[in-house]
Amino acid sequence: MIDFIQMLINGVAVGSSYALLGIAMVIIYKTSEVPNFAQGEMALISTYVAYMLLEQYQFPSYMAFPLSLVFAVVLGCVLEFTVLRRAKAPSVLGMIIITIGLEMILMGLVSWKFGAEQKSMPFPISPYDSVMFGDFFVSTLEILTLVVALCAMIVLFLFFRYSRLGMAMKATQQNPVAARIMGIRTRRILMATWGISSLVGASAGLLISPVIMQPYMMWDPMLKGFAAAVMGGMTSLPGAVFGAYLLGIIENLFGGYISIEFKSVVAFVVIVLMLCIRPSGLFARHYVKKV
Amino acid sequence: MKRNGLVLLLSGVIVLLGLVSGVTAEEGVTDTEIHIGQWGPQTGPAAAWGSVARGTDAYFKMINERGGIHGRKLIHHMFDDAYNPAKTKAGVKELQEGVGIFAWVGGVGTAPGLAVRDYLMERGVPWVGPSAGSRHWIDPPYKYLFAVYPLYEIEAKTLCRYAVANMGKKKIAIIYQNDDYGKNGLMGAKEELARSGLELVAEVPVNLTDGDLKPHVMKLKKSEAEVVLLWTTVKHALMTVGISKAMRFTPQFMSTSTCSDFPLMMHISKGAWEGVIAASFGELPDSDYPLMRTYKQEAFDQYAAKDERWGVFYSAGIVWAEPLVEAIRRCGPDLTRERLVQELEGLRDFKGISGNISYYPFDPNDPGCRQGQREVFLVQCLAGGKAKQLTDWATIE
Repeated sequence: MIDFIQMLINGVAVGSSYALLGIAMVIIYKTSEVPNFAQGEMALISTYVAYMLLEQYQFPSYMAFPLSLVFAVVLGCVLEFTVLRRAKAPSVLGMIIITIGLEMILMGLVSWKFGAEQKSMPFPISPYDSVMFGDFFVSTLEILTLVVALCAMIVLFLFFRYSRLGMAMKATQQNPVAARIMGIRTRRILMATWGISSLVGASAGLLISPVIMQPYMMWDPMLKGFAAAVMGGMTSLPGAVFGAYLLGIIENLFGGYISIEFKSVVAFVVIVLMLCIRPSGLFARHYVKKV
Repeated sequence: MKRNGLVLLLSGVIVLLGLVSGVTAEEGVTDTEIHIGQWGPQTGPAAAWGSVARGTDAYFKMINERGGIHGRKLIHHMFDDAYNPAKTKAGVKELQEGVGIFAWVGGVGTAPGLAVRDYLMERGVPWVGPSAGSRHWIDPPYKYLFAVYPLYEIEAKTLCRYAVANMGKKKIAIIYQNDDYGKNGLMGAKEELARSGLELVAEVPVNLTDGDLKPHVMKLKKSEAEVVLLWTTVKHALMTVGISKAMRFTPQFMSTSTCSDFPLMMHISKGAWEGVIAASFGELPDSDYPLMRTYKQEAFDQYAAKDERWGVFYSAGIVWAEPLVEAIRRCGPDLTRERLVQELEGLRDFKGISGNISYYPFDPNDPGCRQGQREVFLVQCLAGGKAKQLTDWATIE
């Protein structure tokens, strides 16, 4: 029983970083219907900017981390403005391929600038410290990740519900033509979406980097975030978060009780099953096809 | 008619010359150059081992600076395969058939090496010093494949014997990469423990793409292991040690030589690597061994990139190339692949910066004829990334 509960805790702990990346993917998908496969590498480059500020320019962490998040917003906006907006007669498939291309370019850029060797991110919290609750443990970094993920979800919920920009984003997603007629500058909205999404992704990158920091580090979390988003139906923020925690728990229980060798493929099985059985996600009542 | 006859004669001479030169010239060798190939992960999950190929490169530059070998410069063709066997195969074929490589050296990884082993052997291209201690290089032995790296199973046996005999430990577990690299270590550990009537208390496989190792460490913790052998990439070894620390699980960790670059491991683990015992196949980079100091001054200091570090992996690139260079030197000006094989087979107790290296004439029934080095020693990581030598060079068959 102790093992089972510890596995649940581990699943929730690892699910937090999946949740952040899942949220980031959903934000973009909601407005543009494009799964952004460059999400992980956008977070990667922002994380390396934080590393550069800390290590090379000796910035204190209270400045370096916020600055890297600002960089993430700018990066998201710039990529949307300079690359995605320039796509001529873009189909969804074309846009997906553009994001895959961006992913490779960004990873190559990081490898070229910073080298491919593993780095050590100077982070205020040690990834190896933990808190014990009786027989159970959670690392302090994972508690922080959980808090950040929950805060991100709440803030985004309030943002989409009550802020003018959030409402404009929802309007753009639901009917871009009507939104434009109502005076919403949909292109700017799309750019802001990329900026916000990049910000959320970068926070995941910063929280993963104390454990592992190399150009390859975001690939696995990004895929897991994508699987979580698929579980949530790609357009639901709470769905993506729930999917992320569920995926973390499934992975841990699968690794603990069934097969540790095949643990890493569970996420892909989930993607395939969800797309076959419930393509509109766990919480959807029915599948709606836009026409 | 006369003119036609002259053209015919000239054509015949040209064809004949072409045939003759084709017979005498060795692929990848000219009067002034010897082309040597090497792959290594400069990117991807095993990028920490990328410095191996860069170490070889600096070593070759040092030799060229000294005038080369019998007037020929070593031309080093290295490429990044990202530890991806498909890329290794494509890159090796491209260089072999495009440039024409005389011999291959180093080459990080069991899986990438296995992807090209048969291709190179079928073409009769020598390959010296695969940068992995796999049994696949020597069992069965191949005429043109000369292993330098001590077998992973020898490292595993040495570590297990030390744990049982010197430390009095009985409960030993292993976390291993789920491929040939990891399984070689697993096999060695099992065989050695069986000698003492023991069994591994846990065998935990880890896939190269795994991003979360908590379930793995939970299995190790549940086994109540006193010693955990790490047979993984640097990334996974660090995650295992780190998560164990967070879980308050504190066995004695023992690692393959692939994670024996202590300053690097200490830096990226933020000090969690302290106390880990590892096998070592070469003199330590900061040792006073004279040849090591020479390489440091004449290869590393002269040719390494600004942010490069003189570490175990970098000097390993020199270790794999030393017997190749020595054999090329012994060939004299008449350099052919057959002659190279002959000279490599003649090496007995050759001493560079690794343990002694000996090869023997090819015997398809004797894997040992192609296993050059059989010795390792054990070191323990101290504070600041310093290494404490625990044993002398030792061989376990």
